[in-house]
Order: sequence, then structure tokens, then C-alpha cells
Amino acid sequence: MTMLQVEKMTKQFGGLRAIDSLDLTIEKGQILGLIGPNGAGKSTAFNCIAGAFAPTSGTITFEGRRINGHKPWNLCKAGLARTFQIVKPFASKNVLYNVTVASFINTGSRKIAEEKALAVLESLNFAGKKDMLAGNLTIADRKRLEIAKALATEPKLLLLDEVMAGLRPNEVDEMVDILKALRDRGITIFVIEHIMRAIMALSDRVVVIQFGKKIAEGTPAEIANNENVIKAYLGEDYVVARN
Amino acid sequence: MNHQHINKIALVVLLVIAFGLPLVVRSATYLHILVLLFFYAYLTTSWNIVGGFAGVLPLGHAAFVGIGAYTSTILSLQYGISPWLGALVGGVLATVAGVIIGLPTLKMRGAYFALATIAFAEGLRVMVENIDYIGPLNLNGPRGLQIPPMETGLTHFMFATKEPYYYIILIMLLAVMLLTYLISRNKLGYYLMAGGEEPEAAMALGVNVARARLIAMAVSSFLTALAGTFYAQFSLYIHPKSIISLDMSFEIAFIALIGGRGSIAGPILGALLLRPVGDFCRIYFGDTLPGLHLIIFGLVLVLVMLFQPRGIQEPISRAYQALLNRLIPITPGR
Amino acid sequence: MLYIIEDMINGVLMGSIYGLTAMGLTIIFGVLKVINFAHGSLLMVGMYAAYWAISLTGIHPYLALVIVIPAMFIFGYYLQDIVIKPIFIAEKNVREPITVIIVTTGIWYILDNLALLVFGPQYRSLSNNPLQGQMLELGEMFVSVPKLYGFITALVTAGAIHWFMKNTLMGRAIRATSMDREAASLMGINQYRIYNVAFGIGAATTGIAAVTLLPFYNVFPTVGVLFDIKGFIIVVLGGLGSISGALIGGIIVGLIESVGPQFMTATWTEAIVYGLFLIVLFVKPSGLFGQKHDW
Repeated sequence: MTMLQVEKMTKQFGGLRAIDSLDLTIEKGQILGLIGPNGAGKSTAFNCIAGAFAPTSGTITFEGRRINGHKPWNLCKAGLARTFQIVKPFASKNVLYNVTVASFINTGSRKIAEEKALAVLESLNFAGKKDMLAGNLTIADRKRLEIAKALATEPKLLLLDEVMAGLRPNEVDEMVDILKALRDRGITIFVIEHIMRAIMALSDRVVVIQFGKKIAEGTPAEIANNENVIKAYLGEDYVVARN
Repeated sequence: MNHQHINKIALVVLLVIAFGLPLVVRSATYLHILVLLFFYAYLTTSWNIVGGFAGVLPLGHAAFVGIGAYTSTILSLQYGISPWLGALVGGVLATVAGVIIGLPTLKMRGAYFALATIAFAEGLRVMVENIDYIGPLNLNGPRGLQIPPMETGLTHFMFATKEPYYYIILIMLLAVMLLTYLISRNKLGYYLMAGGEEPEAAMALGVNVARARLIAMAVSSFLTALAGTFYAQFSLYIHPKSIISLDMSFEIAFIALIGGRGSIAGPILGALLLRPVGDFCRIYFGDTLPGLHLIIFGLVLVLVMLFQPRGIQEPISRAYQALLNRLIPITPGR
Repeated sequence: MLYIIEDMINGVLMGSIYGLTAMGLTIIFGVLKVINFAHGSLLMVGMYAAYWAISLTGIHPYLALVIVIPAMFIFGYYLQDIVIKPIFIAEKNVREPITVIIVTTGIWYILDNLALLVFGPQYRSLSNNPLQGQMLELGEMFVSVPKLYGFITALVTAGAIHWFMKNTLMGRAIRATSMDREAASLMGINQYRIYNVAFGIGAATTGIAAVTLLPFYNVFPTVGVLFDIKGFIIVVLGGLGSISGALIGGIIVGLIESVGPQFMTATWTEAIVYGLFLIVLFVKPSGLFGQKHDW
């Protein structure tokens, strides 16, 4: 079944059309990657879907329900969780507290919320650091915390905004494994990434946008050989050279 | 014997001291000072629910004190209603006012909320100062309301000596501290803290930050108004300049900020430190150097914000923890 | 009828002076993006400074500008540099540094009570000053001369600042910083120095306002409080960061205050000003000319 459907979404900021009539579909249990050169509009698309702002036109449908302009907290309660590119931990509190905030979403009891939070941490091999202050974590750990928090809200669809940025290659591989394990648990994932090795290893399908428009869609292998994609990233010359 | 035990023992000792103090301190003046100390500790703890946990800056809380005081006093003077009941009515009115102010402003930049609270408090003071009657209710304008000595007793909330007032405010303080503790350990507290520290992240995690803050505001206004009734019954005279004053609003906020907003011990520590300083200055320098204590408050506030923005409770609790560790070293694996 | 027009004229004049007092606040907000809660105290400092300058030397009140403007600029510059800048640096990544509000509130308290301590609570006024109580006759109406001077000063100041922002290098640097501090710093502009300058300009502007008030308004330690609150109301009305907004907001307040008593008691007039503030806050927080913010 379709988890997320974006139809003819357009986002205009004054005179600038950041997203132009974008169509996107994510099936349940899939990992969809969104890539594109800098300034292509990936973050804008992401933020429209995540409820940070409403699209100028078009529809976004989540599990069959239209969610244009819905507030972030309501989206989260409906099962759509997101992470932030610039991570925002609750720095003065420890890791467990951070995740507990998130797991309160479906319960009013602190005991239960804490237990759920601990379970999430354990599933990410993170429980050992549960008493560390979030402000003292390394960047890789902060990214993991960010995912833990989103995970603790028991999402059906997880939106990840450049979670690999700033990680070393071995950390990237670790993250890919974590995300694949999440997908195997039944969570649908929508990823924006710049790091090609991650996206290609992770995604079931990839969508490429440039100047706010979709220019290609397919499996990672198809995308890697797509003329338009190569042109977009590397310029005309490389296409000619290849041929 | 571990840290938990020591903390519990320390707590019991403090409670014993607090409850036993009137047996040792017989001077009415000192009792009066202690009562006001607890009064301010109560106010700052109530303030802390919205100013500390929620992370916004209410600077007009004296307005709620005034609403509480005037409501219960008018109801008791004109209609013979028991001040206890009047306190509840005042609390409800204050809650309504707090929610009305908070609804639009708690979504906006913190500065706007702060301004709105100041405007509300000053506007209220100006109105009360200049109105003698609202319909049948006598406010008596700037002259204020005086409560004539009536029958004493618990139901009348009036006593001949200071001791009963001492115990009442002490119990109120402990109740409010307990409430704050419970809030901090449960969903509302977690949500408030998250919304105060990283509102965007909190919202993405399902927290309706504005609504949580509104709830905090409602609770805080209600509790603050109750203190207004206490003050009215204790000093038997209320007038706008004293009870809806910007000075009081600021003193409450400053004490909480210096003590450490967002913590439970912070406001109490702040009150314990600053009230005696204020009283001392007022008594000894009141004539020669008026307003000295306010200068000191301001200076301490600026210094604390520059060097210890989380308040003095942070170094103090670290010192306390260090002391505990000296007495009873933590065994690894704990 | 004539009275109403007379009231309106005086209201506009006084209002422009209110706008002048609020101008410093709006400049500081426009650049630093924080509301300086110590604004009223700055006005008070300016008034005392002007008062002593004039009383001790006997010069014409407006000549005191020569002393007050640089003095206030320096005061504001270093106040920002020494006390407020550290907090900006510490809270660089925080979306809204509330601590700055707290600190400026503390400064408000310190300054006001220091003045009380040093100068005493008595109301002072410039007796025997050349502008005292002067009235200009316009047909059958009387217009207050000191307020007229104030009106002209307000317009000149607003114009001067506008010119400065548009045509000088520093002015452009300030505008750049207020639009996008990161981009500006990438252009080599030291954002903290800009803040100092902006604060200095804000303080100096407030000093000008102080001088215009002195001929007809009493000085006392807490004189700033009233103007502080009115200043907030005016900048919210007119839009934070907008100088013309400050003037217009001030005039609106001035008109309400002068025409209001014809129809209701003075208290209700004051209450209306507060009420208007709350209404604007609830309905259109960006004010009449304000910049759009992300709430």
C-alpha cells in the first residue's frame, strides 16, 4: 500500500519557485532516497512533507489522508516522524531523558515511557550511553540520538534529513545497517542524502530532483546510469565523454 | 547507607527544623520576616512552573497576586464569604486571565510574551488604582482595602498571632514544591522542558509546545492567586501599589532566575539568599540608601546570568554532590 | 471643536516626541533582534545627564545635545560591549536569547535604583529655562513651544538616521547585519562591533529624546518606566525595526492621550493605550510597518 503520496507539489517563496510540480510515491516498507545537486530543493520538499511549512499547491497524502499544512506534532502523532539536519538534542539532559520525551507520545506514564525509551536505545546499541549528557556526545552519537528520538515516537514513516553528514565512512556503513534493520522492522523510510555510497546502498528506489523538478526516478543502478542525472551532477562534458 | 538515604534524612531534618522554628523563634518581627520569606519562596516556585520549566519569561505575576487578594477580600468584606472559598474564586479568575494572555503570546517570540505580561500587570494596576466601584464591588481605588479584625479562627482565615500564618504558608509552600516535583517527573514536565530547550525538535516529537505552556501558565496563575489571598489575610491591608506592583513581579522573577529556574531547589535557594539580603538592606539602610537591595538584586542577576545562567543552584548542588561523594563514595556499577 | 483641534495638534507634537523616545528601542531591535528592556533607564540617564549639563552651565537646553549625544553613544556602546555581548556570544546558536532580556531587565533595575540612591527621589525640572511654558499662538489656539521644538527634532533625527543608514558605509554595514548577520560577517563585517555601534546609536537617539523632554517634563529616578512601557507599545504598534513606524506609533499614542480626556477620564485613556497594545499584540504582532518574523 502507498504510505506517502505527493502530487504536483509546488512551493513558491515570493518569486522563487523552489519546488515545481513534484510527484513522489513511497510504498509501505520501502526506502526511498531523494538526491539532487545543491540547491535542488530537497530540503524544501522535505520540510513541506514534514509540516514545517505548507506547500503552495499540490497535495501530500499520508496513508490516504491529506496532510497539507498539518502541524508537526499532529503529524508525529499520526505516525510521521522526522529528524533534523542540524541535530537538536536537549543538551542539558541525558540520553535517556531525551528519548523518553519522544516515547511519551502514546502513553501518560513515565515508567512506561522510560521502558520504551530504553528498548529503543537498546535496539540501536546505544543503551550504554543512556546516562550521558546529550550535550557531551560526539557528532556520530548525536545523529544516533536523533534517530532514537524519532524512532521512539513509534512512526510508520521516518523522514531522515542528511543523517550521514559529518560521519566517517565506517560510521556511514554502520548507519546504513541500522536503517536497513529499521526497514526490516516494517518502518517506511524517506531519506535525503548527499553521500552517494549511502544512498545507493540503502535505497530501494531513488528520486532525483534538480531546480525543483524531478529529472529521474528508478532503482539505484538505473539512476547511476541515467544521462540526465550525470548531466545534472557533473555537467554536459561528462555525458559526452562517456559516450 | 547510600546517597538516597542521606538525601531522605536531610529532607526530614529540614522539615523538622521548618516546622519547629516557631517554637524557638518567638519574636514577632522575625516570624514576620520568615512568613514573607516562605511567601516569596511560594511565589517563585509557582512562577517557576511557567517561567522555569516552560522556558518563557512572565514579568507580571504580581497581577495574579492582586487578582487573588482583591477577589477574596471583596467577597469576604462585602458578602461574608470565607476567604478560603474566595481564594478559589480568585484562583479561577487568575487562571482565566493567564490563559487569555497566554493564548496568543505563548506562540510567539519570548519577548512578546514578557511584554504582554508587563502590559497586563501595569494595565491592571492602573485600572484598579483609578476605579472605585465595578458595579456593586468596592475596590476603593488607590486607597485600597482594609480588612478589619474579625473573628479569629481557621474558617475565617484570621489569627491573632503570627504562628498560624507561618504554618499555613509553610504547608502551602511544601504543597507547591511537591506539585512542581510531580510535574517535573511526568509527561507535562518533560514536554515543557523539551519545548523550552528546543521547541522545534519538541514539536517534531509530538509535543504541542504552545498548549503545554498554556497549561503551565494556567496552573501557575491559579497557585499565585492563592498566595494573594494569603497576603491579604496576613497583612490585612492591600492596595494597588503594593500588591500589583512591577517591583513584586520583578522580585519574583529575579529570585527564581538567580536561584535557578527550571529546578525545584532553585527558587527556594534564591529566596533564602535574597530575601534576607533585601530585609537587611531595608532595615539598616532604608533611610540612608533607599533601593540598595534592588541594586544588589540587579547586580546579582546580571552577574549570575553572565557566569552561571542556570542559577546558583548549579554550583550549590554540585558542591552538595561532591560532599556526598566524600562521605559515601559511589561504588562503581551503581 | 477648536479645543479638539488644539488637542490634536498638541497630541501630534507630543506623539512625535514619544516616537523619538521609542526610536532608540526600535533601532536596537532592528539590528540586534532583541528588545532592550533597559530602554527607559537609558532615557532616564539621558535626562539626568542633560539636566546636570544644563543646570551647571546654564546653556540653552538644546545646546546640551552637544554633550548628551556623544556621552550617551559611548554609554550605550560600552554597555553593549561589556555586559550584553558576552551573552550574545554564549547564546550564539540559540534562536532567541532570552537571557539578554533578563540581563537588560537587571540593568533597568540597577540604573533606576542607582539614580534613586545618587540623586534622590525628588522631582527636578529645569526652572527658568528659555523654553519653559512658552506658547505659540495660532489664531485662538495655543501650541506648546517646547513640544514644537521636540516635533522638529524628532523629524530631523528620523531623517538623519535614515540618511545615515542609506548613505554611509557604517550605515550600510548595519543594515546588512540586520538583514542577515551571517552573510554580513562573511563580507568581513564584525557583527559584534556593529551591535555596539547600533546600541550606541540607539542610546544617543534616546539622549536626544531626553533633551527634548527636559524643558517641560520632570526628571526623577523612575521617569523611565512610563516611557519604557509606552516605548514597547509604540514599537509594537508601529512595527519593530521601523523608524517611521516608531514615529507614527508615537503619534497615535500621543493623539489618544490628548484627545481621549475630552471624552473620558484620563485613567481610561491610559487603560486604552494598554488595551490597544494587547490588541495589536494579539491581532497583528508585526505592527503597522514591521518586518515579517518567523514566529
